[in-house]
Amino acid sequence: MTEVGDVVACRALRRTFETDAVPVHALRGVDFDLAAGEWVSLAGPSGSGKSTLLHLVGGLDRPTGGDVAVDGVSLAALSNAALSDLRLRKIGFVFQAYNLVPVLSALENVEFILQLQGVAAAERRRRAKDALDALGLGDMAGRRPGELSGGQQQRVAIARAIVTEPVLLLADEPTANLDTGTTVELLDVLRDLNRSRGVTILTATHDPAVMSYTTRRVNLRDGGIATE
Amino acid sequence: MPFKLLAQLAWRNLGRHRRRNGMLLAAIAVAVAGVVLLNTMLRGMEGEVREVVLDNLTGHVKVLRSGYLADPGIRHGFELPADWQAGLDAEALRGWAARLRVPTVVMSERETRGAQLVGVDPAREGISFIGRASVVGEPLAGAQDRRLLMGRALAEQLRTAVGRRVVLVTQAADGRAREVGYRVAGVYESDFAGLEKVFVFTGAAALQETLGTTFVTEVSVRLSDAADERQQGALADTLGAAFAGLDVLGWQQLEPQAAVIVEMADFGVFIYFAVVMGALVFGLVNAMATAVMERVREMGMLRALGMRPAAVVAQVMVECSLVMALGVALGLGLALAVFAPFADGIDLGAFDLDKSLAQMGMRANFVPLMTAADVVLVAVLSVALGAVASLYPAVRAVRVPPLAALTGGRFGAAGQRRKAARTDDAAANSAVDD
Repeated sequence: MTEVGDVVACRALRRTFETDAVPVHALRGVDFDLAAGEWVSLAGPSGSGKSTLLHLVGGLDRPTGGDVAVDGVSLAALSNAALSDLRLRKIGFVFQAYNLVPVLSALENVEFILQLQGVAAAERRRRAKDALDALGLGDMAGRRPGELSGGQQQRVAIARAIVTEPVLLLADEPTANLDTGTTVELLDVLRDLNRSRGVTILTATHDPAVMSYTTRRVNLRDGGIATE
Repeated sequence: MPFKLLAQLAWRNLGRHRRRNGMLLAAIAVAVAGVVLLNTMLRGMEGEVREVVLDNLTGHVKVLRSGYLADPGIRHGFELPADWQAGLDAEALRGWAARLRVPTVVMSERETRGAQLVGVDPAREGISFIGRASVVGEPLAGAQDRRLLMGRALAEQLRTAVGRRVVLVTQAADGRAREVGYRVAGVYESDFAGLEKVFVFTGAAALQETLGTTFVTEVSVRLSDAADERQQGALADTLGAAFAGLDVLGWQQLEPQAAVIVEMADFGVFIYFAVVMGALVFGLVNAMATAVMERVREMGMLRALGMRPAAVVAQVMVECSLVMALGVALGLGLALAVFAPFADGIDLGAFDLDKSLAQMGMRANFVPLMTAADVVLVAVLSVALGAVASLYPAVRAVRVPPLAALTGGRFGAAGQRRKAARTDDAAANSAVDD
């Protein structure tokens, strides 16, 4: 049962990859809940299933069995287009490789997602500027990704992820490409978002520094939850 | 998804691979310019052939008695009805001429040649070449003029000249051969030696008197230069009603070879367009498909962020169409730049092509013709082809799953196998953390 206040509820979640040789069971019936306001890190060795779980929660992949509900909406029955809409309106993504549009400026990258939502020009410009200001990038709004450092690009990616005020922020190895100093700066930003704005965050990571910031840690092993 | 955003992305993406896109634009521009310029050449040829045929005493529509073409002579003439012009739309006409045209033998004191004797009213011959031909000596003064106007080539064959007398033998209305002496009033020059050898002219009324008839053998009507085939059809209907029982023939029926050349010009443009643009489309598809596959992570990211599949298709199509539209604009500019110096004509006589062209019914001064309708058609078809060509890369783009944004572009069966292999290894040694 999904608890009141749960942003994510996974029930008996299974994901099997069919290969030429043998089927690979990446997730073997995982039950997992994420309450509003939590910041949970999914930890575990490579192949433990943490990225697969993150993808399924984000509607980027479909489970072989079981179900995922985000903000009370079961993803199983949604079409690809409906999944796109759900991602657009309820989920923010922060990728390991930043994944900014290289031909757009920092401000345009943040505005971009609001354009997809159909927000009016003046309002999206204001919200995008506010998001960049909040992440300390107000004076770099006109720069393109190629003119920004890795840490700055990741901040722009976070600004893009939060500008729509999603119910859930998914971060896949957000610090993997950053040095130690930048990692700490970025984690401070995420903690501030989590604490002051109540943004619910789910992070897949190998990085102990990330795990030390989160409110809860879920360890996965062999496609199942080992410890919490 | 807002079109403005799609257009903005498409425009910015053009700058990502400047050399490749520059070469692609150049290829499109050259292809479009080639099609447009070939089009102007073929349209010019088409117009030239039509103009020469219309000028060659044919007009757009001609009224003849049935059997005249097989046996041209006064026996197949007809009386001109008094009110035959009543139904004609004067504004659509350039003019008309009623003529008496019979075969004849022309004899000088030295040579004898066969020819066509044409009785004309010079005032009405503005619709044919003879009305504008340059004349050495004097032109005919009117329909009552009993003198002769002869082509330069025939005069040379007969070894006669202005002011001298020749004798013409022809068949009169009573069926008897009539032998009449004419003084050569003038020698005309035309663009074609063939015309100069065939046609000799005299006054129509004078010839009727000579042959003992009130008949004419043809009425030729020419539409204004702006007239189209629909108006030619209407004219033929009007003349058919005015000349009941006579044949009313369009120039296409009277000169079928020329009509085929005109039709082939249209077909030639289409074939050339299909070949050149078809080849170009493959290049465009290849370039766009490559561009899409280079941006797998970006496409996946767009999908992951919530861009719908239809919007991804639209983005690729807008990008492809933009490349094509820019290429077309450059191509049209290039075509105009090349065309402008030759707009008044190309002297093909300088390339010793005048005789070959004359055989095709064309003059040596060839005037290419660029029409707005043709240019717009090429531009619209090219951009439409660009949109069609974008479908394949667009479909490839939409097949990029959102997961590609997270897996660094690895997706599909191969990607999943790699992932599975990693997962398998890791499961076997789960204690090892990379």
